[in-house]
Amino acid sequence: MSALGTDSMKDDKKMAADGGFEPNIVGFLCNWCSYAGADLAGTSRMQYPPNVKIIRVPCSGRVNPLFILKCLMDGADGVLISGCHIGDCHYSEGNYYARRRFAVLKNFLEYIGIDPRRFQMSWVSAAEGDKWAKVVKEVVEDIRNAGPNTISAEKK
Amino acid sequence: MIEEIRQKAKELLAASKVDMVIGYRRSGDGVSTVPAFIDSAQDVDSLVWDQNCVYNLANYLREFPGKKIGVVAKGCDARAIVVLLQENQLERENLFIIGVECGVTDISEKCAACPRTVSAICDILIKEKGRKSGAPGNEKDAYAAVEALEARRAEERLGLWREEFSRCIRCYACRQVCPMCYCPKCVADQTMPAWFSKATSLEGNFAWNVTRAFHLAGRCVDCGECERACPVGIPLRDLNKKLEKEAKELYKYEAGSSVEAKPLFASYDKDDPKDFIK
Ligand code: SF4
Ligand code: SF4
Ligand code: FES
Repeated sequence: MSALGTDSMKDDKKMAADGGFEPNIVGFLCNWCSYAGADLAGTSRMQYPPNVKIIRVPCSGRVNPLFILKCLMDGADGVLISGCHIGDCHYSEGNYYARRRFAVLKNFLEYIGIDPRRFQMSWVSAAEGDKWAKVVKEVVEDIRNAGPNTISAEKK
Repeated sequence: MIEEIRQKAKELLAASKVDMVIGYRRSGDGVSTVPAFIDSAQDVDSLVWDQNCVYNLANYLREFPGKKIGVVAKGCDARAIVVLLQENQLERENLFIIGVECGVTDISEKCAACPRTVSAICDILIKEKGRKSGAPGNEKDAYAAVEALEARRAEERLGLWREEFSRCIRCYACRQVCPMCYCPKCVADQTMPAWFSKATSLEGNFAWNVTRAFHLAGRCVDCGECERACPVGIPLRDLNKKLEKEAKELYKYEAGSSVEAKPLFASYDKDDPKDFIK
């Protein structure tokens, strides 16, 4: 059990049936755009990989850098934040603040040696089901190439 | 310089312009210094000033709400005061800032690359004799260590930080000594939810060190106190400096340079970098 009461993702099966690596990705999606966009992708029966576990947040500006860290420390192979396009945030400027802080976080994580592919952002509107499917495909591919997360794995 | 500092402190206390002067006094070992909290004009002679005056005195200012405080401030202490004012943690009218021109470039390693040796904000500036007034500090090589790390391979960087962080004993000295680490309840102490392990596991240590550094992005003034306080010698300034460099390069933002400026992450610009977003 991790401290948040969720089962640590470290224990999840990382290998698909065929032996290939299946990345475990956490997605933080803003309620008003990206979550609806992902919903549209589903109701439109678009095919895309099931690797992103979605957590709905009110706004991309709600995402605390601690969320990202928590995911990566608990063994997620990648994190994706998705919100409304710039200008469309339902709280006017939440995504501006998010953009600013996560640009720095991304570079900082890279500096520490964490593959930048593990932390990604996208703007997907409620009408962009197709874009959501495309983003997920790309992100899953990226993180598959980055390999399993071993950032905080104790030395064997 | 010390005579001028004592004189000013005496004057302020005698005239009841301040309730207390915070400066430095000699510690028991006869060499190093500790913060001095002087509330009577008779005691000003215990104040000292030399290259052992390392503490960032801005760290103590929040502890005396409503009191008028005179404070001896080096360049870095003054920048920290600016940040605290920006964040509404202090009342400017309750402070009398005794700026000291800090020519002692061997206070610690950070001083060698300190860009500003003169207080960014002060009510009186006590100059160092024989030093050309306003002479700039030494800014060259400020990011040499950061750049050297950036140039290495990602796996090497991760390996290096894993090794550094694995030594952390979670004493939180780095937090206690930092003027900007004033959250009433640090995430490291929270249990509901517990954001990361409190044990000295690599996972918890990694999360702690990244969190500490990141929460100081755009706020750290590079006083170097955290690194000095760390008992196991983790190069914390190499983390802080990277964030300082990012703030400068991405947003032209420098912590502690203006009381009027909005804090880095409490502001944005329509033209902020966006290429990393899909
Ligand atoms: S993080 Fe360290 S160097 Fe930066 S202001 Fe705090 S104590 Fe000083
Ligand atoms: S001072 Fe050093 S050992 Fe103590 S918590 Fe901070 S980084 Fe860890
Ligand atoms: S509401 Fe969607 S990003 Fe703010």
